[in-house]
Amino acid sequence: MPTIVLTTLKYLFLALLYLFIARAVRVVYLDLVGPRVPKPRDGRARQAPARRRGSPRSIVVTEQDKPVRTFPLDDEITFGRSESCRVQLDDTYVSTLHARMFSKDGTWFVEDLGSTNGTYLNRVKVTSPSPIAVGDEIRVGKTIAEIRRS
Amino acid sequence: MLILSIVIALATFVLVDFSRSSHVSPDLAKFMIAFTALAILGHIAIRRLAPTADPLLYPIAILLAGFGYGFIRRLAPDLASAQLGWIAIGMVAFIATLAIVRDHRQLDQFRYSFLLLGIALLLLPLSPIGSTLGRGVKLWVRLGPLAFQPAELAKVVLALFLAGYLASKREVMTITTARVGPLGLPAPRHFGPLFLAWGLSLAVMFYERDLGSSTLFFALFVITLYAATSRSAYALAGIVMFSGGVWYAYNHFAHVSIRICAWLHPWSATDIQCGINGAGRQIAQSAFALGSGGLTGTGLGLGHPQLIDPGLRSGTLPTDFIFAAIGEEIGFIGTVAILLLFGLIAARGFHIALRSRDTFGTLLATGLTVIITVQALLIMGGVSRLLPLTGITLPFVSYGGSSIFANFILIALLIRISDGEAVT
Repeated sequence: MPTIVLTTLKYLFLALLYLFIARAVRVVYLDLVGPRVPKPRDGRARQAPARRRGSPRSIVVTEQDKPVRTFPLDDEITFGRSESCRVQLDDTYVSTLHARMFSKDGTWFVEDLGSTNGTYLNRVKVTSPSPIAVGDEIRVGKTIAEIRRS
Repeated sequence: MLILSIVIALATFVLVDFSRSSHVSPDLAKFMIAFTALAILGHIAIRRLAPTADPLLYPIAILLAGFGYGFIRRLAPDLASAQLGWIAIGMVAFIATLAIVRDHRQLDQFRYSFLLLGIALLLLPLSPIGSTLGRGVKLWVRLGPLAFQPAELAKVVLALFLAGYLASKREVMTITTARVGPLGLPAPRHFGPLFLAWGLSLAVMFYERDLGSSTLFFALFVITLYAATSRSAYALAGIVMFSGGVWYAYNHFAHVSIRICAWLHPWSATDIQCGINGAGRQIAQSAFALGSGGLTGTGLGLGHPQLIDPGLRSGTLPTDFIFAAIGEEIGFIGTVAILLLFGLIAARGFHIALRSRDTFGTLLATGLTVIITVQALLIMGGVSRLLPLTGITLPFVSYGGSSIFANFILIALLIRISDGEAVT
C-alpha cells in the first residue's frame, strides 16, 4: 500500500473523529442555551393579553421531592432557605434570603435579593424589581412558583 | 450521531486490516455486520424504552466500544471474537436494564440489598473460588471456564447504594455542629461511613492487591458524599485519609512501593532502584509508544504495540495498556479526541445529575459519572506516567467481559435517569 494513501486515510480518520466530537459539542451547547427561537424584544412581550387580565391573588410553589404548596398574595412574600422566609425552601440552589415579592400601588413585583443563582421570571433573569402578572412563572433554584388569579 | 459513530468504528476495523496486509481479511465483513446490528439493536431499545433519553451517551459509548474492538482485533486477534461476544452480552444487559428499570426511583428501595451485594462482590475474590490468574492481583472469580472480575460490577451496585443512602441521610449529615476556621464540621458520628469506606478500600488494596479499584471506590464515596452534602469538611477528611492510606501503603506493602518506584524511575533497567528487574519497563515502553506516535500518529495498524509487551507476555496490552497502543497509532491529536469523548461523557453525566428532579437520581447520576471518569483518568494517567500505574480497564475500550458488561449497565442507568427527567 503506498504511503501517501495510508497518510491520507490517517488524516481522514482523525477528521472523522473530530467531526463526531464537533457534533456532540453542538448538542451540548444547544442544550445549555436552548434552541434558537426568535427573541422577543421584551422578554415578556409574548405573554397573551388574555392571560394578563385580573390581578394576582396567589402563588403555587412546586418544589423538588415535596408536595405542591399554595400561598395567598396578601402580604410581602420572601423566598429562601432561612426559617424566617414565608416560602421556606429546602433547595441546594436557593440562597438563605433569595428573592421577594411585594406590591406597590396595586401592582405586584418580584425582586432578587442578591442570590447566588439568580431569580428568573419566565426564563428571563430578574435584575431589577419586575412587575408580574397572572400566568407568570418565577423560578428560584430548582423551584417554580406560578402566579394564579384565584 | 449514532450513524457517525458506527461509521468511525467500522472505519477503524477496515483501516487496521488494510494497512497491515493491504487487503481486507474475509471474516471482517462478518464482524462489521455483527457490530452494526448490535449497535442498531441498542438504539431501537432506547427509542422504545426511553424515548426522551440523552441523545449523546449511547453514540459515545458505541464509538468507544467499536474503536476499542478494532484495536483488540489488531493487538490480540484471538481475543476478538470473545470481545464481540462480550459486547453482545453487554448489549443484552443494557437492554434488560432499560426494560426492567422503568423508573430509577424504584431502585431506591433495594439500597441495603445493594450494599450487601456490593460488599459480597468485592470480597468474593478472597473466597475459595477466587483466583489470581497468575498476575499477582487477586480480583478474579472462577465459575467453570469463565473468569469474572466482580469488582467491576460492585462499583455500579455500590453507587446505587450510596445514592439511596445519602439521599435520605443528606440532611442530618449536612448539619454542622462545630466550626474550625471557615470550615463547618458535621457531628463526628457522621464521619463513620467515611471510615467504613476507607477501611473497605484499604482491605481491597491489601488483600486483593487491586490498587485501581481501591482508589476508585474511595473516590466514588468521597465525591458522592461531597455532592450530597456540599460540606467541604468531608472532602478534606477524605483527602487526608487517602493521603494517610497511600503513605502507609507505600511504606508497608511491597506491591504498592514497587508501583510508585516504577512510576518515578521507569528508565532504570536494573534492579538498583526498585528491587525488581525492569519494574518500570512497561511504563517506559508505553511512554516510548506515546512518543513515537507524535502529533498525528503512525496510522492505524502501523504502530509497534508488540514492543510494549513482547509476546503479549503479561496479557495487559489489550486491557491496561490499550491506551498506549492507541496513542502510538493515532498520535497526540487522536488521544486528545479520546480524552474529549470521556470529557463529553462527564459533561452529559453531570448535566443529567443537575437536571434530575429527585435527589436519588441526582446522586446516582453523579456517582455513575464519577466512576467512568475517574477510571478513565486513572488508567490514561497511569499509562502516560502522570499518575502511578494502577491496573484498571479503560471503560468500553479495553478488552474484558466484566468491564464491558458493567459499563453497559452503567450507561443504561444514566440513560434511564435522563429519560425520567424530561417527563414533567
